[in-house]
Formats: sequence, C-alpha cells, structure tokens
Amino acid sequence: MAEMKDGAEDIIVCRDVHKWYGDFHALRGVTTSIKKAEVVVVFGPSGSGKSTFIRTINRLEEHQLGEIIVNGIKLTNDIRNIDAIRRDVGMVFQSFNLFPHLTVMDNITLAPIKVRKVPRAEAQQVGNDLLDRVGISDQSDKYPAQLSGGQQQRVAIARALAMQPNIMLFDEPTSALDPEMIKEVLDVMQELASSGMTMIVVSHEMGFAREVANRMIMFDLGTIVEEGPPEQIFEDPQNDRTKLFLSQIL
Amino acid sequence: MIAGAEPINNSALRPPHSERGFVGWVRANLFGTWYNSLLTVASVIVIGAILLFGIRWVISDADWTVIATLGGQMIIGQYNTELACPSQNCFWRPQASLLLVTILLGMAWGVAGGGLTKRIAIGISVALAAFALLPYSFERMGMDVRLLLAANIPAVGLGWAIARYTPLGTGRGIALSAIAVFLVTLILVHGVPNVPGLEPVPVRHWGGLMLNLLLAVAGIVISLPVGIVLAMGRRSRLPVVKLLCVVFIEVFRGVPLITLLFMSQVLVPLAFPENFPQNSLFRAGVVITLFSAAYMAENVRGGLQALHPGQAEAARALGLPGWQTMLFISLPQAIRNVIPAIVGQFISLFKDTTLVYVIGMLEVVAISRAYIQGNTEYLASAKELFLFLGLVFWVFTYGMSFVSRRVEKHLGIGVR
Amino acid sequence: MVVLVAWFVANVGNAIQDRDIPHGFSFLDREYQTPIGQHFLPYESSDTFLYAFIVGATNTLIVSVVGVVLATALGTFIGISRLSTNWLASKAALVYIEFFRNVPLLIQLFFWFYIVLALPPVRDGYVVADRLYLNNAGLSIPWPSVRSADAALAWIGLATVAVVAGIAVHRWLVRREARTGSSPDPLLIGVMTTFFIGAVGWLVVGAASGGAPFTTSLPAPQGAFDRISGGFTMSGGLMALMAGLVMYTASFIAEIVRAGIQSVSRGQTEAARALGLSSTHTLRQVTFPQAMRLIVPPLISQYLNLTKNSSLAGAIGYSDLTNVAKTMTQTAPAISIFLMIMLAYLALSLTYSLIGNLYNRHISFGRR
Repeated sequence: MAEMKDGAEDIIVCRDVHKWYGDFHALRGVTTSIKKAEVVVVFGPSGSGKSTFIRTINRLEEHQLGEIIVNGIKLTNDIRNIDAIRRDVGMVFQSFNLFPHLTVMDNITLAPIKVRKVPRAEAQQVGNDLLDRVGISDQSDKYPAQLSGGQQQRVAIARALAMQPNIMLFDEPTSALDPEMIKEVLDVMQELASSGMTMIVVSHEMGFAREVANRMIMFDLGTIVEEGPPEQIFEDPQNDRTKLFLSQIL
Repeated sequence: MIAGAEPINNSALRPPHSERGFVGWVRANLFGTWYNSLLTVASVIVIGAILLFGIRWVISDADWTVIATLGGQMIIGQYNTELACPSQNCFWRPQASLLLVTILLGMAWGVAGGGLTKRIAIGISVALAAFALLPYSFERMGMDVRLLLAANIPAVGLGWAIARYTPLGTGRGIALSAIAVFLVTLILVHGVPNVPGLEPVPVRHWGGLMLNLLLAVAGIVISLPVGIVLAMGRRSRLPVVKLLCVVFIEVFRGVPLITLLFMSQVLVPLAFPENFPQNSLFRAGVVITLFSAAYMAENVRGGLQALHPGQAEAARALGLPGWQTMLFISLPQAIRNVIPAIVGQFISLFKDTTLVYVIGMLEVVAISRAYIQGNTEYLASAKELFLFLGLVFWVFTYGMSFVSRRVEKHLGIGVR
Repeated sequence: MVVLVAWFVANVGNAIQDRDIPHGFSFLDREYQTPIGQHFLPYESSDTFLYAFIVGATNTLIVSVVGVVLATALGTFIGISRLSTNWLASKAALVYIEFFRNVPLLIQLFFWFYIVLALPPVRDGYVVADRLYLNNAGLSIPWPSVRSADAALAWIGLATVAVVAGIAVHRWLVRREARTGSSPDPLLIGVMTTFFIGAVGWLVVGAASGGAPFTTSLPAPQGAFDRISGGFTMSGGLMALMAGLVMYTASFIAEIVRAGIQSVSRGQTEAARALGLSSTHTLRQVTFPQAMRLIVPPLISQYLNLTKNSSLAGAIGYSDLTNVAKTMTQTAPAISIFLMIMLAYLALSLTYSLIGNLYNRHISFGRR
C-alpha cells in the first residue's frame, strides 16, 4: 500500500451529490472526501453510478444538487472554474480515446502546448520522459492505430500526466484490454501511486486494489454502500450487498 | 477512515423542478447557457418573421387560382385533348392504370398484414378518392372521372382480398403483378392500333406528372440491374470489359444530365439503324436510365468493396463457383448495405425526370411553365404554382425516403 | 456487352459517313454571330466559336466557384445548427434540409426566377443609398474599375507580394510559438502585414501615377429608359441561379457536415475536454481534423454536382456552357460540340477531384 501522510488536507470534497439523466436518478446523494496522495478504488455492479461519480469530479457530467469542491474550487457552471479544474485533474478512459489523427507525441504535447502554452521543444522533452516512464519511449512517432491496446492505454496515461495534474481519475482503465496487457497498465498505475499521486480508480481489479489502494468505495444504486481500507472490505465487509458483490467477483 | 459509512439513503427521487417537465426541457434545450439563449432569441425572431410573412402571403396575397385552372393538365398533360385523342375520351386509360396501382398497394397490405403498409395503402387510396370531391363543375370534371377516382377505395380492398385469398399473396406474387401492372399501364396509356377505345396516343402528347412517374418507374426498375452489371464489369478481370465500364460510368457521371439529354436527340438516332423505331420518350428513358445506372454502379461497387473478404472466402471454401458466390453471397449483402444510397439515387432520378423539358417533353414542370408563358395573366402567380409543384414533389420524395428509413430500421442497417 | 458497344460505335461511324452528318472542328475559327446574355469575359458577336465556347465555360466556372464557396458556408452553418443542443436551431435546420433537398432543383430555380421577374421595372426599382439598384433587370452594385492599366498591374504585383509576406510572417510566428511557447496571434499579425503592405503599395502607386490604381464604378440610371449602367450588374437569371444552386446544394452539404462531425466519437471530445482544452481548441484540434476525413470526399462530389447542375441555367436565361453549346449545335456539328463539352466538364471534375485528393493526402493519418 502506498504511504499516505496522516492529517493531509482534503483535496476533493463531495457533499450530497445528486445527478439525474432525464428522470433516472443516477447519483443519489454521494458524500465523501478524498485526501491528498490518497488512492481510492471505486467498485460496484454496472449501472451503480461509479463512472458517473468520477465523471462529475472533472465535470464531464454536470451534477444538479449538492456540491463538489476540487482543489478548493467549487464546481459551478463558470467556464473558468471548469477549465482550471480540468487542467489539474487528469483522466484515463476505458476506451483510451487517443486522438487517431495525431502521433503519439502529438497526442501527449497537444494540451501542454495549447493550454499551458509550453514551448514545443520543452513539451516534447517532457513527453519523451513520460513515454520513458510508461515504458514505450520508442513509439513516439507512431499513430495510435499502430499500437496495441496496452500501449495505447499507457500513452493515454502519459497524455494525462503531461498536464502535470495533481489528481488522476481512471475510469475502468483495464476493462477493454486483453489479459496479458492488463498487467503492463496496472504496473504503470502502481508506480504512479507510489510517487504520491492522488488517484481515484474505477476498477474491478481486486489484486490491484488490495495492493495499492488506501481506501475502497463500494457503489450500488447511485450511493456509497460501504467504504473502508481494503483489508476491512475484503476480510470483514459490513454490508450485505458488498458481501454479495465480492462473492460474485472474487 | 470510517467503516460502514453513514446511513444509506437509497430511494430514487424525482429530479428537482428546474430539471424536469416543461421547465426542465426548456432550460436544457433552449436556455442552457447564455449563447444558447441568444441563439434561441435569434431563431425565434427569424422563424417568426418567416412564418408571419409566409402565412400572411399564403392567406391573403397569394393567388392560387392558376393551380385550379391548370388542374388535370398537371396530371396528364395534353393526353386527353382533341389533338392527342381525336373524338374519344382517353382519360380513363391513365385512371385505370392508377386503379391497378392501388390494387397492388392493397395486395402489399394483404401480404404485410397491417402496420405501416396498411396505413400507407389506405391513406393513398382515400387521398386519391378525395380528389373526386374537388369543387370543379361537372363540365370540367365529369361524373365518370369522379367515379373512377372514388373506385380507388374498393380497389385497395380488392387488392387486399386478392392477396388473402389467391396464390398471388406472396412477395414473389406481388413482384410479378407489379411487372404485369407496369406493362399493362404502358399498353393502356400508349394504346393498341385498330382496337376501338384504345387508339394509340402519340408519345409527344404524354405529359404531366404521369410522364414523370412513368419515366421514374421505368428508370428505377431498369437502372438497378444495369448498374449492378456495370459495377461487376468494373471489377472484371477482362481488361476490355473493365475499360468499357469505367469509360461509360465516368462519362455519364462527368457530364450533366441535361447535356446528355439534348445530345441524345442527335446521337441516339445515329447509334441505331435508320429504320429503328424510336421517339423522344424512348430516348429520354434510355438516357435517364443509363445516367442513373452509372451512379447506381458506383453505389453497388462501394457496397462490394466494403464487404468483408471472409464472406467470399467462406463461400468459395464451400465450393461455390465464382459467379454463384457473387450472385448469392456478395451482391445481396452489398446491396443490402447500400440501400440508403440506392434509395437516394431513386429519389434523385425522380427529381431528374423534370429535366426532360430540354427535349421538349411536357412533364409537369414544363407544362406548368408553358401555361404561364402562354397565359400572361397568370405570370404574377408563377411563385404560387412552383411552390405548389415543389410541395407535390416533396410529398413523393419525402414519402420515398420515409419508407426507406423504415425499411432500413427493419433490416437493422446502420445499427452496429 | 462488348459486342453491343461495338455495334453502336460502328453504327455511329457508318451514320456519319452514309448520312453525311457534319463533323470535324473546322467551325471553331468561324464567327459565332450569336449574342450571349450575361458574360464575364468581353464578348462580341463577331468572335469565333472557340472564343464563345470559352466565354460559356467561364460563365459556368464563375457560377461554380462562387456557388461552391457560398454553398459550403451556408451548408456548414446549417449542418452545425442541426447538431446544436438548441432544440429550435436544430429543428429549423432539419426543416430546411428536408425541404430543399427533396424538391427538384428546376422547380426551385423557376420559383426564384419568377420572384426576380416580379421585381419592379428599372424606373420603380429599389435603390439603396444610390449605390445598390435592385429591379427586374437584376442587381447592380459598385465595382472596381481600372483607371490606368500600368498602375493597376503594379498594384496587383504589390498586393501579391503583400499576401506572400503575410503568409511568411504567419509561418514564422507559428514556428516561434512552437519554439518559445508564446507569441502574439500569428493569424492577426499575418493579416495585418498583408493589409499594411497593400495599403502602402496603394498610396505609393497612386502617388507615382497620379491617382489611385483602381476607382469605383458606381451604377447609375442613364438614358431615356433609365437603364442602369456602370458598376456590376448581376442579371436576374444569374441571381435566381445562384439562389437556387446555393440553397439546394447547401442542404446536401449540411447533411455531409452533420454526419462527419457525428462520426467523431463522444469519447474524443470528452478526452479533449478532460485535458483542459477549451471548446474552440477541441473543435479545431480534435473534432474537425477527424471529421474532415469523412467530409471531404462527398463534399467534392457535391461541388461537382453543383457545377453540373448549373447547366439548368439555360431554363432561366443564363448562358452557361451547356446553354451556349446547345445553341451552337444549330450552326455547328453536334458531335464535335458534344466532345468539347465532355472535355470541358471532365477538366472541371478533374480539377475539383485533384484538390480533394491533395487535401485528403494532406490529412490522412496512420491506418494499418
């Protein structure tokens, strides 16, 4: 488990967050807070709202009631706040979402150059370091379609890191991958966690959770059913639904 | 860290008032952000101005009498005039053809057994019968004409009964009947020499919407197979065949239809022996069909190219010879996948039938225009006339695309 | 089929010989002796067939190029409106598309043509600030006119230099931005450079030749019938043709643009927004480049359709290539003219296809 300073300040605070899609009540009052350098694994049955939850944190989804505070900034419709938060919150998607018309290097440097106004040469330097870190430094001139799924997801992680975020969101990062590629992505994520990054990971990789997470959150029917350190969740779950769900996937 | 968290409130709530119902809909779809609101206001002003101006024009300023005056000429042109049909009444021949088509529709309803087909069949026959009630004097629109129009309602029922109680009530039966109806229509409209009541009407007197529809139906029926042959020719391994197909397709796609039509007046007679019987209708039909076939060929070729090679490989592995693979495996899939493009081509073929005016054929737009130029008192209501014609064509073309979208949905095209 | 084609070709060949059908191209040097309505190249009835043909081709070319630009602008606007989250804008765009593309172009042309014809006669026409004249003879607008040919040429030369300089400055600034990360807006500075050099050139050439290189020719009523002369007059036929062609083609382009943009998956925009890219940057850097790959090929084919559809101009009295050529067949061999038309349209098609292919190669990206 990654080391975490006790008493660190809350970096994300959610109070009674509600979200509706039309009449469907997707998030039903989510309240939790996440500390700096904490690694949180969110799990639960499909349709339980776990993806919706992390997508509200960088406002890919708008919540309609309650409040979310990220880095001390309250999420509202104010475009400047949203842009500021998105610069500090990196996100990795289940389907990679690399830009197919750009090379690996251009995928990584696009946002730093356009948003942070970093000189191209400097951005490429950073890009090379990041590709090194995720272990594919030799692929920088290729297009995404020429890479394997695992490589693409590692590029996606490098792309998010290039903006130097202090929070990373992972939305089922390994669900679209073949088994032999899952490990290479999890290794990168583990390395990232040990470097002190605040991470929220939606995933059913229970091995990863047991080893890396500080805390696990079980979602069902749009709310947090149970949360706690991995040992407690695995050894002594309090809630029946958690027990049932874990028994099905373990 | 707390274990077990706080008490769970799991009941689903209705969204807050600002998010649901009419208010929520308006907020989400019209006034979500400040520029959305601005856009809404701008749209309301523009649409409101158009509607206000348009409705006022339609109700008070526009003069629609020209349409009533033209009346049947828009539908059959000069067909029933003394010139075309000396000393006899010919109107019943197109009308009888129309009844045959209605019977076909009824058969389609009988086979489909209800749903959309039923509604279309009944809707069309009722609409046709409603024309019998037009407030013309009986001198202009006789009782016989009205009765034949009203007969469309029993005709649709007859078709339904035929489909239900005779062996013709299958898809194949309808296809065969459709071909028969088309041939009978041609014979009826053209006439048969020396048969009383069916004296031939020279094709130069054919006109109006009837001409557009005849050209469109003939073009649609023939251009698809010709297009398929051309598409296969373009993929042929024989260089001569391939070259000919490529040249044909590219020439017909590269030159405007109008140019082809008026050149057909000069060139088609040369391409046939001098004594070969032909007329401008024949030429127009040939050119429109070939023009459409060239586009059709490219659509079909696109469909063939998009096919997964595994399909043909599997067929070959089963021992099917090449031509059977093409006929039974590749083509059906390719055509099914490009149905939207093919229907689009049918629609544009129908729209293109208006272009035969260049070779002096009085299809509906040409006859309307000729009428306006011959009767200058109607020059001021030309706008109304062409707006009306636009709506008439729109009903046909939108109907075609509507039905095709339903068919696509039914076949699951475009859904992956 | 080969046999059939051979038979037709042989028939045509025989017919030309046996029936004494005129053929050959010797007519091209003869005087055409027929007036042409509106024309953009100077034309007299005493000009040759060949030149008249070129005049007709130019008429088609200008309609095509102007029509393509306008239809693309209108079509893109409507296509994007169709995708708007604003319900009203989206539905209005839908109505526009479904109406204009389902009604035959010929009917639309006649509709506009008779509206233009119904405009008041020249004497009672609409006049805006003594500059714009709108009446049943067409729309007259102010137009530049050459005062002295030398000065005009000199300034056009300078203007070309200005454009080149503007592009050079733009590229230099873009590279500098890539190198250092900050720079003033390259596009703005580039355009300003071009305008500055152009304006200075205008003054210099003007001072050297004693007057501005171009003056403005204003339309004004003249003579006993108050006919408008001066400026540039767009004939009623051309106005109706432009309105019809642009609105018809725009409905198809709108659908192409909509489909192209929709083909870019939601994940792409989400990823871009999650990286902090603004909506403008997302559109420019992520959505558009991907959509363009799907948009360009059908767009080019719409450009070709617009060009070919402009041959309907004859119906409303504008002398496009087909209309001129059709009149020519009355006094010249039809077969020769048909070959020339085919070559002319083929050349136009190839030009558009070439531009499209070059662009497509420019934007293609690594697909296995």
